[in-house]
Amino acid sequence: MTSDLRDRFEDMGRELAAKPHLLRLGALFSETVLIEIDGNEYYLAFHRGELERVTEGPSRQTPWRFAIRTDAEALAKFWEPVPEPTFHDIFGFVKTGRGRIEGDILLLVKNLRFFKEFMALGRQEEATA
Amino acid sequence: MSAPNYEPIIGRYVTIEVAGRSYRVYVEEAGQGQPVICFHTAGADSRQWRHIMNDAEMTTNYRFIAPDMPWHGKSLPPEGFEEEEYLLTTEVYVETVLKLVEALGLENPIYAGCSMGGRIALQLALNNPEPFKGFIAIEASDFQPAWYDIDWFHRPDAHGGEMGAALVSANIAPQGPKAERWNTQWMFMQSGPGVFRGDLNFYTKDDSLVGKLGGIDTSGKPLHIMVGTYDMTCTPEDAKRTADQIPGATLAVMEGIGHFPMSENPATFRPHFIEALAKMG
Repeated sequence: MTSDLRDRFEDMGRELAAKPHLLRLGALFSETVLIEIDGNEYYLAFHRGELERVTEGPSRQTPWRFAIRTDAEALAKFWEPVPEPTFHDIFGFVKTGRGRIEGDILLLVKNLRFFKEFMALGRQEEATA
Repeated sequence: MSAPNYEPIIGRYVTIEVAGRSYRVYVEEAGQGQPVICFHTAGADSRQWRHIMNDAEMTTNYRFIAPDMPWHGKSLPPEGFEEEEYLLTTEVYVETVLKLVEALGLENPIYAGCSMGGRIALQLALNNPEPFKGFIAIEASDFQPAWYDIDWFHRPDAHGGEMGAALVSANIAPQGPKAERWNTQWMFMQSGPGVFRGDLNFYTKDDSLVGKLGGIDTSGKPLHIMVGTYDMTCTPEDAKRTADQIPGATLAVMEGIGHFPMSENPATFRPHFIEALAKMG
């Protein structure tokens, strides 16, 4: 399960690399993001908008700028082709208490369109882009 | 040569005085019959109403009038804006609506407003109902504290409009046509510096309606509240809580719609809005 998710994030990275508009939006984004699902850690290292590598935790040495923590069911609902209300956006996790966003939230907000569209790449069909 | 294929919407400017200051306000309108004055959400402008105003059937019996609030769209900010922090207040908003109704010579108009425009529908219904036939309050509730930091949207080191658009996309349902979802965000991207923040200052801090909604008299002035299931800012629960406090108010929950119904998904919103207009008598 955990490696499946790493594969999924890596697939999303390949899709990201094929989307020039996202690479343009993320051109100033060179940061590591922690995505924690049911306590399993995935460190997504971006460089100039490209996803360079995905590293599984646990790790206390890997610095990250912001983190999204939720559960596998919520993430699966987020990735439905047409997500139900509150699962259609990463802030829905926070609003409903199904997850948390931590760290440098302003940095996330400055790159919000880029990061939201990256996260939506996990959907089977593009529904919110 | 063939005639231009113009849309039926026309735009004009009117100058009003609010709180002792002069404002040049842009107003669009279309249709004939019962006037309906339509107010946009925070951080956007009257383009949110363009699908309603271009609706051949609805404009047969209704005259829709949609202003850009001062500081928004094609309306200018007041003289001296360059040294001013824009912070919308309930008092200025209410006076702006009343002065526009007067300046435009509208008789017995229906008021329709979305989000902060919906909040003002409730304020008007409570405190200034006289000029209006009834109220359509869309994505409206008594009070919504912020679940975000409104200062994100006005900073010297980032584009407030792009950040605002990316945030409000959380309130847009995935079911709407892609083009209209993006057109909805474009208005936020274009919003003047600090304007979305200044609107949110009113929307997320003014709790003056809390505990007072029971004073709204709907017996002669219908009040209809509408809410989309994907609205995370004014949720269906928020709208129901609001409607439950107002004797005689009606509530419609719209499936597959978010915080910007008339703009993000016009086809799904249309029958709900026709129903709302019918409730105004």
